[in-house]
Order: sequence, then C-alpha cells, then structure tokens
Amino acid sequence: MIAPTIAAACDSEPSDVQGQPSPTSTEPAVQEKPAATVSSLEAAAAGATLGIGLWVAVTIIVVPLAFGTAPLWSAAGMRAAFPALIGWIFIGCFFGLALRAFGSSIRATLASLKGAPKVQPDPVRIVILGGGFAGTATAKCLERIYAYDSSVAITLVSDTNALLFTPMLAEVAGSSLEPSHINSPTRTSLHRTAFVRARVTGVDLKRRIVEAGSNELSYDHLVLALGSVSQHLGLENVARYSLDFRTLFDATRIRNHVIEMFERAERVETRRERRRLLTFVIAGGGFAGVELAGAVNDFARGIVVDYPGLGEDEVAVVLVHPRDRILPELSASLAHYALERMSARGVTFRLDRRVEDATPTSVRLDDGETIETATFLWTAGSAPNPLLRRLGLPCDGRGAAIVEKTLAVQNHANVWAVGDCAAITDSRSGVRCPPTAQFAVREAATLASNIRAAIDGATPAEFHFQSLGALCVVGHQIACAELKLPFTTEAVRFSGFLAWLLWRGIYLSKLPGSERKLRVLIDWSIELFFPPDIVQTIDLRP
Amino acid sequence: MTRTDVVIRLAACALVGLFGGVLAQHLTPNAGGNPLLGAAAATIFCAAFGRRRFDIGGALLWGTAYAFVVWLAVLGVTIGVHRGVAASALDSMRPAFPQLVADVVTLGIPTGLTFGIAGTLRSGVPGAPISIARALVGGGIAGIGGGWAFGKWMERIHYFPLIAGLVHSSSVTIGVTLHFAIAVTIGGTFGLLFQREIRGIGSSMSYGATYGALWWFVGPLTILPALTHHPIDWSASHASTIFGSLIGHVVYGLIVGVIYAVVDRAWRRLFYESDPLHRELVEGRFRTLSSLYWGSLGSIAGGIVFSAVMLSTGAFPRVAALVGGTSLAVGFGVHMIISALIGATYGIMFQYEAPNLSASLAWGLVYGAIWWFLGPLTLFPILLGGPFIWTNAVAGTQLPSLTGHLLYGAATALAFLALERRHAAWLAQNPRLATRALRRRRSLGTAAPAVWLFFVGLVVTLPVLLS
Repeated sequence: MIAPTIAAACDSEPSDVQGQPSPTSTEPAVQEKPAATVSSLEAAAAGATLGIGLWVAVTIIVVPLAFGTAPLWSAAGMRAAFPALIGWIFIGCFFGLALRAFGSSIRATLASLKGAPKVQPDPVRIVILGGGFAGTATAKCLERIYAYDSSVAITLVSDTNALLFTPMLAEVAGSSLEPSHINSPTRTSLHRTAFVRARVTGVDLKRRIVEAGSNELSYDHLVLALGSVSQHLGLENVARYSLDFRTLFDATRIRNHVIEMFERAERVETRRERRRLLTFVIAGGGFAGVELAGAVNDFARGIVVDYPGLGEDEVAVVLVHPRDRILPELSASLAHYALERMSARGVTFRLDRRVEDATPTSVRLDDGETIETATFLWTAGSAPNPLLRRLGLPCDGRGAAIVEKTLAVQNHANVWAVGDCAAITDSRSGVRCPPTAQFAVREAATLASNIRAAIDGATPAEFHFQSLGALCVVGHQIACAELKLPFTTEAVRFSGFLAWLLWRGIYLSKLPGSERKLRVLIDWSIELFFPPDIVQTIDLRP
Repeated sequence: MTRTDVVIRLAACALVGLFGGVLAQHLTPNAGGNPLLGAAAATIFCAAFGRRRFDIGGALLWGTAYAFVVWLAVLGVTIGVHRGVAASALDSMRPAFPQLVADVVTLGIPTGLTFGIAGTLRSGVPGAPISIARALVGGGIAGIGGGWAFGKWMERIHYFPLIAGLVHSSSVTIGVTLHFAIAVTIGGTFGLLFQREIRGIGSSMSYGATYGALWWFVGPLTILPALTHHPIDWSASHASTIFGSLIGHVVYGLIVGVIYAVVDRAWRRLFYESDPLHRELVEGRFRTLSSLYWGSLGSIAGGIVFSAVMLSTGAFPRVAALVGGTSLAVGFGVHMIISALIGATYGIMFQYEAPNLSASLAWGLVYGAIWWFLGPLTLFPILLGGPFIWTNAVAGTQLPSLTGHLLYGAATALAFLALERRHAAWLAQNPRLATRALRRRRSLGTAAPAVWLFFVGLVVTLPVLLS
C-alpha cells in the first residue's frame, strides 16, 4: 500500500528549498506550477495527521458527549481510547488519498453545477497625474482601498521616478544629507500601480485620454496632482539669473555652486570681488527661504576654514522678504525668535523689501539698494502647474483648479484635483487649504475614498482637515515649532534645541521607507563627527 | 537517473535491509527481526521512490517515517487481533515497542541513508549545492544552544558522569565536554543534512525536533549502552525510564532547528542576498506584520478550542498562577494572551510552509505537539519558578494537555490559512511579488510529509510509553 503512495507522491522535482533561485528557476517556469498542488504522499501524511485530529474530536470528545458522558480527555480516558487512534490514522490516510484522487473531479463537478464562469468586466481605470506627495499618497490610498480587488487599474504618471521629501531639501543644499537619501523611488513604494515616467503634455477631457510623451492613456477617473512650479513674478532677469529651489537637482546645484564660489574667491585678489563671490542672497522668507538661508549660512561658514585665503567676515548671507516679518506661517513670537537666532548666526535680513531686478553680478531691491552677489536663490514665488489653464479647467487667480468640497473639479465629471494644483477650501471652516505636504496627504486620502464612492455610487465625503502644526529649522540644532497637541486647544510653541529634536524626529518618521530613514540617520550621525563635505559633484566652471 | 543507478540503489538498500534484519535479530531476538523481511521492506521502500532523488537528509527522514508506518501497520493488525479487549489494548501494545525501535534503528535510518547516499553518489542531488561552511557554522552554533538547554536537565539528574562513561571516565567536566562535543556534532550534521530542506524557522524547528527524537532512538537507546558495555534494552519499560531524555532530545532538536534557521537566514542575507545579482522584490514589513496579525487572530479559534480542554481538566487556576492569580477568568485571560503570542509566532514561522489545507493541518498539529513539549513540560514549570521535570509520571499527567495542544495547533493553522488566502489576491496584483511568494513556498518533493508522519508516530508512541 505504501509503495505506490510514495511513488506517486514524488511527481515533481523539488525546487530550491532555501528560497534561493536555482539556476533553472525562472519566473514563467514557477508560474506554470500551481501552488496548491498536493502530492499523494503529502495527502496521505496530512491525512494521517488529520486522523489524530479526528481521534481527538470524535473519539475523545463527540462520541462520549453523544452518549451523555464526559469527554475522555483525562489521561486514563485517552489511554482507554488509544486503540481507536491507530484506526483513525489509517482512515485519515485513506481519506487524504481519496481526496487527492477525486478532488479534481469533485471540484470540476461543483464548478459545472455553478455554471459558466462570469466574464470579468474591464477594470475601472484611474490615472493620477503627478508623483509628488499628493499623487503618490492618492495611489497608496487607492492601493489600500482596492488591495484585493482587481476591478480597478491604477496608473501614475510623473516626470520623475521618485518622491522628493521636500522638508529635507534644505539639508541637501547645506551638504548635511546625500541627495538620493531623501528621494524614495516611486516604483518600489507602490505595489500594484502602473508607473509611467513621462511629462504630461495634454489631456483630452472629452475623449478621456491623457497624452504623456508618446503614450496615450485612457481613463475613467482622472486625478490631477500636478503640483506647482516656480513663479518669478514676471521679472525676466530674476528668472534668468536666479537659482530655483524646488527639485533635488536645484538643491544639489546650490550646494555645488556655494563650493564653486569659495573655490573662485580664494583665487581672487580684491576683497570686494571676494565679498561679492561669498555673498549669498535668498529671496523669500517663508519656510523654504528661511530653511535654505539657515542651511547655506551654516554650510558657508562651516567650510570657510578649509580655504586659508578667506575669512569668515567675508561671507554674507542675505535674506530678502517683502513683509515686515519672516515665517508668516508661524506666530509672530516664533518668527521673531527665528530672526534673532539667524541674525546671531550671521544672516542679515532685508524686510519689507522686494527684489526688483537682477544681473549676473548683483541683485537690486525696490528701495534702490544693490547687493553685489554671484549667488541669487529664489524661493519667493510659486504657482500651480500651468497645464491646468491649458486644459480649460475652471481655475482661480493663481491658476489652481477650482474643486468642490469633495475634491471633484467643478463641472467635470470624474476629474479630481488635489495638492498644490487645486484650490481647496476646508468644508467646515471655509478657509483655503495651504499648499503643504501635510494637507496634500490628507486630501489624497479623502480623494481616494471619494473615487471609490463614485465608482460604487455612494455619497462622497467633503474634505476637512485641521493643521497639526508646522516646524522650521533655522540653524544648527535650532528650530521653531508650533504643534497641535492632544488635549490642547491652542497650538503649543517650541523653539531651540527641543524644537530641532522634534523636527528631526517627526520628519524622520514621515520620510517614506525604512531604508531611507536609516540612510538619513547615518548621514546625520556622520555630520556630528565630521566636517561638511566640500567635494564638488557638478562641474560649474564657466 | 539511469536504470543502472536505480538498480544499484535498489541493491544497496536491499543489502542494508538484510544486514539490518540480521542486526535486529541479534540485538532483540524477541522483536521479530528477520533478515529477509528487512531486505524486502528496504526493497519496497527503494522501489517505491523509483527514479526519484533526495539528498541524504530528506532520504533519512523518509526512511524513518517509513519505519514508523511499517510499525503502525503492524500495530493496526495487532489491535485488530486484540479487538474486544480495548481497555487493555494499550498495555498489550507495549511489547510491540522494541519492534518500533528496531524498525527505526535497523531499517528506517540505514535504508534512508543508503538511499540518499547511493542516489547522491550516482547522480548528484537536485537543487543548489550545499554550503558546507554555512551548514557547519550554523549547525555548530545551534548545537551549542540546544546542548546548553539539554544540559540543564542532564545536570539536574546527574547524567554527565554517565556520558563521561563513553570514554571510561566518571568526571562531570569530561561529561560536559563530551556532551557539548556531541551536541555540536549533531548540530553540524543537522545543517549538512537539512540545509536544502529548510525554508523558515517553523520547518527548521520541526525538522530539528524530528532529528532530535531520531537521536533518542540511536543514542540513549542504542549507542550509549553499547559503548558503555551495557545490554541494549529496547523494551517499553526501559524507554519509559528514560522518557525525560526523549523530551530533552526533542527540545534540543527544536532549539537547534530554531537557531540554525536564524543563523542560516542571517548568513544568506549577508553573503547571498546582498549580492545584487540575487536581488528580489520584497513584500516588506507588510507581509511580516500581516503574518503576525493573522497568526494571533487565528489563535483565537485555537485558544477557544483549547479552553474547553483546560476547563474540564481544571488547568485555568494553574495558568492564572503565572500572574499571581487563581480565578478562572484570569486563567482564561492569560491563556488567550499566550495563545495569541504562540499564534503570532506560528504566522511568522510557517508563513511560506502551508499553502493548502492539508499542509496547514499537518503543520498545525506538529506545531501543537511541539508546544506540548515546550509548554507544559518545560516553560510552564520554569515560569512558575520551579524546575522542569521531564519524567514519565509528570508527562503522563500532561497527556490531556496534548489533546488541547493538538486541537489548538490545528485550529490556529486552519484559521491562519483562511486569513492568509486573502493575501493571495493582494499578491496577484503584482506578478513579481506573486512569483517570489510562490518560489518561497514549500514545493512538492521535500521531506516535510515525512516529518508529519514522524510526529504522527510520536503521538502514537507517547501513550504507549506513558501507560
């Protein structure tokens, strides 16, 4: 009896058993082998174990209960019932073999009784344009919602193949972090979303087709998460001679540019020219401008010791801001604290001033002052992606798509907008939502559930979110933070070292991917013990 | 494998079966050993596998499982003959115990080894080559860990001088040294024999427990008396007196299995998977967390089933004592928490082992049986602040608990499977992940069913030894 069982059991070669791909194990080959196949011996052996279970269930428990006596699970009772165990093992064994022999026939009979399998309808196609916080978060939320459901196909189109963690961008410019460490590859962070790296050139809203490079993508639901672009307020020279601070390339270029200025300055004889080369002007006193100014100031003053011909007094970092105080997103006291601390560290401010013009060697302000500089960094303006206007969508004055409280674009069925490119108002407070990552991620969650509601014919939800607070690093181990804490009605303000620890802790936890977290943590640790890296990775020589 | 290879392997097995029969006849004349029967049984075993190839470890387990099946078949006939006297059937089966030892030691092990060695020598083995360094380092470290645990019991019952008797000494130091040398050697052979078979901690632990129990038949029942010039006694009564040693061997084996799997995993991570050429897409922590969650959720079913046994045997107050309580409610609460923890470990340990109903049921029962050795016999007394007592009498009182553990294991495994099956739909969304998951699953043709059969045999043997 055993011999044919064993022989039939081994009807397939064992594949690699250690999880290591054997030289012949290719993906198609593996896919050909059904996973749930049970060999005869496996069926017999499993049946034998089933026999033990049946012995316990039937002989020890059910039969005595059926006869009105206590189960036999005392030691004496089990010993008395022991002979039945052998019988159950053999019954289980035969049952396993029989099931294996006739299982496929039984399944086929049951399937035929059920009738012909249903034809799967075409999946609902959701296309997301933009791979920033809003777009990626929308894709992730949809993946969660449709985790086990293949009736929905999700596609994300982005002109970059990674999600840039912008809160840490200033640290790249300041040489604290390696550029790639704050970028998470979109392909690996998404599980079932088809990713297309392409620039969106147009959308045919009537035919429901997205034009992305040479690709044409049909959609049933379109999510616009195109983000924003730099806006230079119509100042041509500013656009021409300033360096933007939006992308990873921008941050890398700024870092290399600062090093380049030091390299050039050391070869210059005149003090005036050295000062010009070592003067860094930043336009914009919002979060981006302040963090960039703090990072550049620390970096520049930190590397000056590596250039024996240069003195720290020759370095100048100037922040120009059109209002009377920096950091309008934070309370006045924190903004004042930030200004004081940055001033103490060498940053100079031009408040209530606007940049009016720029040349390759200087920046002119609206009060007539001209700052001689070879470095002009622009963080003072941004606008929603101009593609939105070209699509003929209803837009506000800035060019952001006007959406309902459900995040659906007005008068356009199945078109949704989210993030920086959407003009979103909170459904409860009626206040315009700021274009921050914090809001974009929450908007994405609402949007994803609303798309599901639209597909299911349910009522969509209105967007509401209350900011959790804001954090801003202003210099080495100094930050400002305003956070909503549990059981408090007002935001709690933090400053200094504690705020800096909060900043690092919170943003490290938000950085996508444990691998990225580890890399950033290592970068930060290295920074504690070693000087800033002055290796140039981009050749910026004229 | 050519026809010549098959014939040579068949002849080798028949010859070994013949010698095994002679040996069994010589060692235990009353156990029914017969050279011709031995040769016939070995030939049937070998012929059954035809052209199939196993590495030596897999073949060894199949051989041992075969021995158990042969013994069970004989036992079934015996019970059939003795039907009508069921109450005394267990006692009447104790005389059959030497036959089991003879089947395992002189038939199953040598035939399995010969089958594996002959196949390997003639035509190699399928799959990736064994990393000897990895096997010996991992197995050696695992052997030290398992030996340490086993040594705690040996120390208590003053067993080391007996071990030292192997080199004609009675020194405890020499006994300890010898014990660890043996533990490391067995650990090393575990790595060499089962490196290809092992996928995760769960299977490694089960293979280890099987291998440890195998050594109980070979070591204290056979080799130790032979080397210390004592008569070899395979009787049930003698086996009962060294029942503690069986528990020790099983616990040693499962510790070896767990440590080996961990070291092996670390080794592969450091020296194999870190190679970009071997990179695979990973499911990440989602899978790990999910397995923990499904395991602990599945354990609710197992824990409730087990509760019925505990309630009827009055075990809840003893469980409550773990946290200083005495009430049924506290006992039930503690029991369910422990169930959830063990269920979570099932999820992690067996996540790629049991893709279907039969495998789930089998692994669940094996896991339940393992926890009978680990829980009430070992960890529970330690957690209550006392020593663990691996004696026949104590194990006998815990026999009802074995029922509960088996039910718990089966129910948890089946519930886990039901929860895990939903994950297949998630995996199906990404073909690469689905393919990887498929590759990590235990495929057909491994010795896992032999492990299940071995445990079936062990469960049958326990009441015989404890009666």
